[in-house]
Amino acid sequence: MSEEQPKQEIIVSRQVISIPQRFATGPVMGRFLEELRDNKRIMANRCPKCGRHQVPPREVCAVCRVEADQWDEVGPEGVIRHFDIVYYASPDPLSGEARDVPYAVAWILLDGCHGDAYFWHFLKESDPNKVRKGLRVRAVFNEERTGASTDIKYFETVEGQDSGGET
Amino acid sequence: MKKKKNRNAAIIGIGQTKLSSHREDVNQPEMVHEAVVEALDDAGMTIDDVDCVVHGNMELFEMVHQPDMWHVIGDGAYGKAGVRLTTGGTTGATLACAADNLVASGLHDVVMAVGLEKLQEGHTTGGITNMADPLWGRSLQTGALTGTTAHDVMEEFGEQRAKHASMKLRVIMDKHAMLNEKTHRRFGLTDDQIEPMAENSPPLVGELRMIHMCSQSDGACAIIFASEEKAAEFCDNPAWVVDHETVHREETLAFFAGTYTDTMSTHRAAAERLFARNGITDPRKQIDVFELYDPSSWWGLDWMREFLLLEGDEHLKMVENDDIAIDGSFPINPSGGVVAGNPIGATALLRVAEAAMQVRGTAGAHQVKKDVNMALASGFGGTFWSVLMLLSKQMPQ
Repeated sequence: MSEEQPKQEIIVSRQVISIPQRFATGPVMGRFLEELRDNKRIMANRCPKCGRHQVPPREVCAVCRVEADQWDEVGPEGVIRHFDIVYYASPDPLSGEARDVPYAVAWILLDGCHGDAYFWHFLKESDPNKVRKGLRVRAVFNEERTGASTDIKYFETVEGQDSGGET
Repeated sequence: MKKKKNRNAAIIGIGQTKLSSHREDVNQPEMVHEAVVEALDDAGMTIDDVDCVVHGNMELFEMVHQPDMWHVIGDGAYGKAGVRLTTGGTTGATLACAADNLVASGLHDVVMAVGLEKLQEGHTTGGITNMADPLWGRSLQTGALTGTTAHDVMEEFGEQRAKHASMKLRVIMDKHAMLNEKTHRRFGLTDDQIEPMAENSPPLVGELRMIHMCSQSDGACAIIFASEEKAAEFCDNPAWVVDHETVHREETLAFFAGTYTDTMSTHRAAAERLFARNGITDPRKQIDVFELYDPSSWWGLDWMREFLLLEGDEHLKMVENDDIAIDGSFPINPSGGVVAGNPIGATALLRVAEAAMQVRGTAGAHQVKKDVNMALASGFGGTFWSVLMLLSKQMPQ
């Protein structure tokens, strides 16, 4: 009788890669970020054909596929149209650190925007009993701004102001 | 109007590995090889009969770039025509569409589509988060997790009915998974667990709970597509590709919320186009089984209405009445679906594989009870990409 073969160890190769990145923002997104950083203003671009706003702006209207070359200041207040209360501690891709939970994100129709031109950002409030569709919120800017999404810290509830109608 | 094609393509060979949370017993090309060998055996072919290999996964998960160069050891593509595709969660569906196009165009006689993922070897939520545009969305995204659909369904149908229907769908999927030895998560859930799980399963985002969400799996799938001549030579029971449709939209417009507000969902648009081209006026009568890409039981529930062009609460009733069960009038996901097994780059190809097995009558323990002449498979990815493929027992005329 031959001896039983010892079970082979399958070696697992453990690796971590970390890549510093720098992305050009271009003149359209660049203008949006510059206004956030220098003037605490939220700028949307508008389609000359259908009148939709895009915020953050993109070079062309996603529906009409024409250059969206008109600009309007929108917000800083708006109304929550959708929201998520997040309990899963996902990694922040900018730091690699797990996010503190719960936190809330919302799709906000900023004053001056129409239809489904929602602006996606964090909320200050993450209590599921206090966040609801129709809630009026306002952008709070960070003191130190770098021309990034984080120039807006979050949106906070505007007390006593409810757009009504929405549940 | 029918799509223009020079000839028909048929699925004549299917292979899939056992799906698992850990395939640390094999490396990537070895795992691919398992599926490829099974597909070749199923078709009665050797790799020499294959003209072209279409390879796909989402390289952002394992962070291996040009993975087809490594995987060639396992998929046999060396020296053959080939192309690598990656379209997010729809990758597998896109592989099937491309393989069909390559055969139907006349360019190749036999094309093998190979999809895979080893999610254990990377970071799934981190990878999906890095799909968002780096100038804005990356800082906000939480992988593919969102509770907005749960919120909307509860708002439309009431919290109790909505929670029950989504969890009942989850339990039906698990009952199907129990019949499919190759899928990953097989819990043995029962109906009396519906209410407790709806309250006690750990919440991920809003009312999207752990049990609702798809798994992170390792696995591979291979499907062999053949011309009319090759299908006649090698296969007694081919599944013919009738047609396929892909719909997507610009990211920031469509991303998760606001999808159903002012404009039609990509799912409904894909179904309307595909059905109109192929004379499908009553999908639940004309199609026998639907293998749906259900990333979560909330999305699965909501999307039934979109894909089947239903109105009102028809989709909830189909779940509540067990119409979608394997022995029901319109079975959905006899495989157990994506909530049971999800090796992402293979996931949408596995939907096509299951639909094809149902048409061919080779699904074994998870073969639906009724006769299957026509089957529909869907794929879903990243920013509401939607892909549908329609298969038939009869060769399209």
